[in-house]
Amino acid sequence: MWGIFLESVVIFKNYMGYHENHFLAGLYLLTLLYLWLTEKDRRRRVLFVYAPTLILFLFFCPLFRKVFVRLMEDSETYYRLLWLLQMSIVSAYGLIRLMGKHRRIGLAIACLAIAACGDYVYDSEHISQAQNAYHLPQEAVDIVDMIEPEEGRITVLVPADLIYYVRQYSTDIELPYGREMLIARWDYYNAMYEAMEEAEVIDTPAFVELTREYPCAYVVLKQDRAVREPLTDYGYSVYGQVGEYVVYKDMTLQDS
Amino acid sequence: MTAIISLLFWLLAVPFCIGLIPANFISADKRSPGIVMLSGYFGMWALFEISAVPAVLWVEYNNFKVASAVFTALALLGAAAGVWLLYRNEKAGRPGLLVGMWAEGGRRQKEKGAKRFFRGTGIEWLLFFVLLGFQLYKAVAFASFDGDDAYYVVESLIAQEAGVMYRILPLTGGSTGLDVRHAMAVFPMWVAFVSVRSGVHATIVSHVVMPLVLIPLTYLLYYEIGRALFVGCVQDGERRADMGGSLRRAGGDVFRRENLPVFMVIMAMFQIFGNVSLYTNETFFLTRTWQGKAVVGALVIPALFWLFLRIYDKGVKRGRTDAGLWIVLVSINMTAGVCSSISVFLVCILIAAATFCLAVAERDWKILFKMGAACIPNVIYMAVYVFMAYSYLLK
Repeated sequence: MWGIFLESVVIFKNYMGYHENHFLAGLYLLTLLYLWLTEKDRRRRVLFVYAPTLILFLFFCPLFRKVFVRLMEDSETYYRLLWLLQMSIVSAYGLIRLMGKHRRIGLAIACLAIAACGDYVYDSEHISQAQNAYHLPQEAVDIVDMIEPEEGRITVLVPADLIYYVRQYSTDIELPYGREMLIARWDYYNAMYEAMEEAEVIDTPAFVELTREYPCAYVVLKQDRAVREPLTDYGYSVYGQVGEYVVYKDMTLQDS
Repeated sequence: MTAIISLLFWLLAVPFCIGLIPANFISADKRSPGIVMLSGYFGMWALFEISAVPAVLWVEYNNFKVASAVFTALALLGAAAGVWLLYRNEKAGRPGLLVGMWAEGGRRQKEKGAKRFFRGTGIEWLLFFVLLGFQLYKAVAFASFDGDDAYYVVESLIAQEAGVMYRILPLTGGSTGLDVRHAMAVFPMWVAFVSVRSGVHATIVSHVVMPLVLIPLTYLLYYEIGRALFVGCVQDGERRADMGGSLRRAGGDVFRRENLPVFMVIMAMFQIFGNVSLYTNETFFLTRTWQGKAVVGALVIPALFWLFLRIYDKGVKRGRTDAGLWIVLVSINMTAGVCSSISVFLVCILIAAATFCLAVAERDWKILFKMGAACIPNVIYMAVYVFMAYSYLLK
């Protein structure tokens, strides 16, 4: 039970970003304490004091965690229990109570405190200038536009960078493997993925044999991808190039 | 142009008209266009759950087309019923469904109230709208990468392009058996429905249209929470509502309308700076707005806070008088199922925790039964989930 409790502590710390010196949780807990001491309205006390405290207690309770994980069959989503705290609503209410009549100066201090304790979301490495209305990399869009069949579906082998995006643009493109191969902790195995991504140098004969098992009508490789022998020696032709990506077409499929 | 009209129809007109139904059963002093819109959205998503979940589970071919047809009929019927209730109320000269709190005070009061709304708080409101505009700009002009899109957005696109739900593996395109956990959370199918009706690519609807709808809708909810906290509610006779104006309480400064924009600014700041980890509901709200689980953290759970503030604001004993709010509560519970399977369990935990504390505080155990009854949709959802997930054991 102690071990389960410690796991919950780690989840809480990760959620609140303690290891990166973010202290919004501190702001929230101070506000909660302040509301414990000052909130007199019975029903607001229930919603802004008792319920969050009870949820925090449940979160750290090992027995509750065991039941939750057993019911959900998933321990990775346990952090979502913390969504029930609604840090922002409780903190905002508490801060406004605290500022009393000093509304403007209080607001300025609150905003500074939030900015100092929090982390600016748009700084995230996952956010970048949109290249098109789809919010997908333009290269993925251009490659699909180049190879998309007029009717029916085709299988295409693409590098890991494009796997997330190709089917968000067109579901007429099928893939030999998908995102599941890129999440290491899911621990899937796929021979095509091993040949394409894990091999330092692509072993062309074995690689081509695998692609034709699906069969992949096109293979997209990065320009600088190391290949033992050129794909063009094995019945592929260069169909086009988009940025750093070279698109190869399997001419043997066309023949058949 | 047709696409824009269609988007406005399905994302503005239809939910608003559906929201007139619960508004009819909410006391006049609590009504507002914001409440109508929010109730309408939750009601619409509840209707979508009724239409789509059975189709996902038990219709084998073209299940998306079947669900779309049923949902279209139900939504239009609901919208028509809302319009009819509005007409009936106006004809009978009762307080309006849209702005009941103003209608009670008369037109003059309404105009006075609107003018006084911004008085003395212009800077705070301006700051809030700048922050809101900034978030909308970022949502449209910037792309946020999330790996889960390879599943959820592609599910929407498959439904739009192939007319089927959860029968094709989104990651690769191969055929697949039913993954009950994801299949019962049909939020991506609602996105697909909007895409089909508007003729806009599902990925554009997800990444551009949804943030433009869901971010303002979320702030509308925060506004209503702020209104419940700081403006125009009456409790135990301690506070007195001054229609359209400020509200005072002896010995306290918190119950002032001036605090409403302050609340909104702080909420907006929390969303922008709440990215302390990848897991917070604030991070989900602004980086994957279009996913059902983000809607749970930003909209569904706060909506329960709002309802708890509203349902019992006249005391526990009088809580049941607002039948419309109970309809909204049931709709919110159903919306949780639309958004994500796990959230059905989460909202039950929140309702149970808050209701238990309320029952102890008020010494009224009947609340447990009332709130329990409102959770029946969640129980049904979980029962169907368990049945479908483990039905192979019966074979």
